[in-house]
Amino acid sequence: MIDLEIVSPVSFVYQGKVKSVSAPGTNGGFQVLYNHAPFVSSLTIGKVKIVDENGNEKLYSISSGILEVSNNKASIIAESIEVTDEIDIERAKKSLERAIERMKSDDKGIDKDRARLSYERAKNRIKFSGKEK
Amino acid sequence: MSQLKEIKNRIVAVKNTQKITRAMKMVATAKLRRAQDKIVSARPYANKIDELLKQLSSAADTGSDPLMEQRPVKINLVVVVTGDRGLCGSFNTNVIKFATQKINEFGEDTKIIAVGKKSVDYFKKSGHHVIDNYPNVFSNLRIEIAKNAVAQIKKGFLDGSFDSVYLIYSEFISMIKQIPRIEKFLPIVDEPDAEKKSSKQTGDYIFEPDAASILSDLVPRQMLVKFWKALLESNAAEQAARMTAMDNATRNASDLIKYLDLQYNRARQEAITKEILEIVGGAEALKEG
Repeated sequence: MIDLEIVSPVSFVYQGKVKSVSAPGTNGGFQVLYNHAPFVSSLTIGKVKIVDENGNEKLYSISSGILEVSNNKASIIAESIEVTDEIDIERAKKSLERAIERMKSDDKGIDKDRARLSYERAKNRIKFSGKEK
Repeated sequence: MSQLKEIKNRIVAVKNTQKITRAMKMVATAKLRRAQDKIVSARPYANKIDELLKQLSSAADTGSDPLMEQRPVKINLVVVVTGDRGLCGSFNTNVIKFATQKINEFGEDTKIIAVGKKSVDYFKKSGHHVIDNYPNVFSNLRIEIAKNAVAQIKKGFLDGSFDSVYLIYSEFISMIKQIPRIEKFLPIVDEPDAEKKSSKQTGDYIFEPDAASILSDLVPRQMLVKFWKALLESNAAEQAARMTAMDNATRNASDLIKYLDLQYNRARQEAITKEILEIVGGAEALKEG
C-alpha cells in the first residue's frame, strides 16, 4: 500500500492508502506501485487514476502538477484537479469555445500559448466528464 | 413638545444605524469563518511545495533558475493589498500608511500593483507609478486572480522592468490584532545551507524530465501559493477588523440610545410637570375669581 495525498491550492483532495496511482507525466504516462524507487515527475494535462485498498478505481482530471514518491509515500501537487464525475460540463464547454475564439483571433494582445493550453485543458475535462470509471 | 419629537427621531435613527452595524458584524463573522477555512485548506499545498523545494534544492543547482537571480536592485515593485470596502476601522489606512512609508524608502522609481479597491483608489490619486490595478477581488476571491497577477509579475521581473518584488498586506494575527507586513516575493532567496543538509537522506531521487526543469516548474507554484496566501490573510484580517469595528459601533449605539432615552424621559417629565403647573395655576386663578 502507498500513502497518497493529493493537494491543490484550494483544497485537500484526497488522502488515504492506495494500491496504485497512474499519472500523466510530461515524458509519458506512468504507474506507481508498492516499493517504487524515489521519484519526482512533473505532470501534464490528463487523467490520474488511483486504485484504493478495496480495489475501487477513482479518476481525476488534472491540469498540471508534480508527483513525488519516496518510501511508499506519494503526493500529488496539482494546480487544479477534480473528480471526473464532478466536472461542470457546461463550464468546460464554454471555456473551450472561448479558447477556440482566442486562438483564432488576430489580436496581438492575446497570449496564444495560454489560449492553446486552456483549449487543451477544456478538451481534457470534456473528454473525461462522461466516464464514471 | 417639539423637543420631545426631536429626541424621539434621533432615537429611531440611532436604532436603525445599530441594526445595520449589528447585521454587518454578523456578516463579517460569517465571512471571517469562510476566510479562515480557505487559509486552512491552502496550507497543505503550501507545506508540500516547501517540502519538495527543500528536497530538490539539495539535488539540483538552485542558482540556475532565472527567478532566483539576484540583480543589483534599481527598481522595486510593491504589491499593496487592501480591502475592497471601508467600515472596518483603521484597517485600510494602516496598510496604506505602512506601504507609503516603505515606498518612500525604496525611492521614486518604485512601481506599484494595487490589489483591493481601497488601494486602487488611493494610488490613483497619490501620483505613484502604478502599473496595474486589481479592484474588487475580495467579493469573489478566486485563485485565478492570483494566477493572473503572478504571471504578470513574473513576466515583468524576467524582462527586467523591476529587479525585486515585495508584497505588502495585513497579517491576520488574532480577532483584535491585524498588522501590516512586508514580504519579499522576488527574487526567491535560496534556503540557507543548514536546511539543505538536514534533508540529504532523500537525495537519491529519479527525476523526470530532470531536476532543473522540475525546479522551474515548482518555483512559480510556490510564488502562486505565496501570493494566494497574502490575499487570504488580508481577506481574513479585513473581516476581523470589520467585526471589531462593527461591534464597537453597535456598543456605542447602545450607549447613545441609553443616553437619549434618559433625555427623552426627562423632557417628557418636564413637559408633564409644566402642564400640571399650568392646570393648577389655572384652577387657582378661577378660584380666586
